[in-house]
Amino acid sequence: MKKTPERIEALAAEYVLGSLRGPARRRFEQWMMESGRVRQEVWFWEERLSELSRELPEEAPPRSVWQGIERQLWPQQPKAEPARSGFARWFWPGWSLVATAAVLVLAVVLVQQPRQPATGQLSGAVVQANMEDPLWLVSESASDRLLKLRSVAATAAATGKDYELWVVPESGQPLSLGVIPAGGVHTVRLSDEARQALSESRTLAISLEPRGGSPTGAPTGPILHVTKLYSL
Amino acid sequence: MAYAQNDTDHDRLMRLLMQIARDDRDAFRQLYELVAARMFGMCLKLAGQRDLAEEALQDAFVQIWHRASEYHRDRGAPLNWMMTIARYRTLDLMRARKARPTVGDEGLEELDDGRGGPLESSLRDAGASRLTGCLDELSDVQRDSILLSYYRGFTHEELSQALSSPIGTVKSWIRRGLMALKRCLER
Repeated sequence: MKKTPERIEALAAEYVLGSLRGPARRRFEQWMMESGRVRQEVWFWEERLSELSRELPEEAPPRSVWQGIERQLWPQQPKAEPARSGFARWFWPGWSLVATAAVLVLAVVLVQQPRQPATGQLSGAVVQANMEDPLWLVSESASDRLLKLRSVAATAAATGKDYELWVVPESGQPLSLGVIPAGGVHTVRLSDEARQALSESRTLAISLEPRGGSPTGAPTGPILHVTKLYSL
Repeated sequence: MAYAQNDTDHDRLMRLLMQIARDDRDAFRQLYELVAARMFGMCLKLAGQRDLAEEALQDAFVQIWHRASEYHRDRGAPLNWMMTIARYRTLDLMRARKARPTVGDEGLEELDDGRGGPLESSLRDAGASRLTGCLDELSDVQRDSILLSYYRGFTHEELSQALSSPIGTVKSWIRRGLMALKRCLER
């Protein structure tokens, strides 16, 4: 469809109003990415129609909303505990990189594993904002120290790159659990050290590394995800 | 309204957004305390159900944290920019869940609450908006279709049901109403 001024005008208004839906809405979002003229038109309506929102009654949201925001943005930081030096030194530069790039968002969800009723096992998911499915589901089998990652919506790393999985200990350098594939089910056997560190911190991270994994033994690429596991 | 949108607030929100773009968590918390109730009121009205509105508000603030550096003056007032993020997120969730507790006359009654006397007086006070005056120039059905879409997120199908009119007719009310509104706002 050609971007005539009349079409841009009509579609931008309906986009902001919300009555433009489904595939037509997604097509129009493509137009917005391609054209400054289209964006200007959208911003005109966003600004003008926002005035309607100003008069709606305020309503204080429950505290759980703020807690949810904190949990989603900063899952690795238990509240009221000072940042531990080893973890913080390694972690924050990488986190800031990711946050600034605003590409990936870290979050934690509790995943129900009904077929594994045993207690004390760790479980969780690596998720990305605005995606319905988690990238990977993580579960631990306590008896044989296996950590299982099941790929749900993960996509392959860029050419020449691999995803590497890390245990982030409460202090000190992260421990590599090796390179993980984007598809299928991947199992890692935990060393005593890794098992101990994971049971204390319950924190995993995934970084983007050169093909074959980090050459230095510590994460070298951007940290894409950090996830906190839960005990079932 | 408790939240007066004057120059001081405008500047304060701008300053907070700039700090948030530099990963300032205190600024983020202050921003939340300043605008969350206003945004939640809008999400709640639009969604008509609390759990969905809470989820939308949470997602919107996560987006604001990540996108603060994208904000610039061309996007309009900072509060409007944030309200727009929350509004789109609420609409997305509503459509993903097909959530619509009630459709029908109830929507029309509630509309009056949203756009009563205070709307007009405060917009006059703001001195900036001709929106209300321009809305008054539309036909009743055009205005109702636009406001139900805006405040309640009604789809064409839901409008057609609520206003007892064919979908094609409703679509043309919205389209013509919006274009008439723009001509008026540009005058």
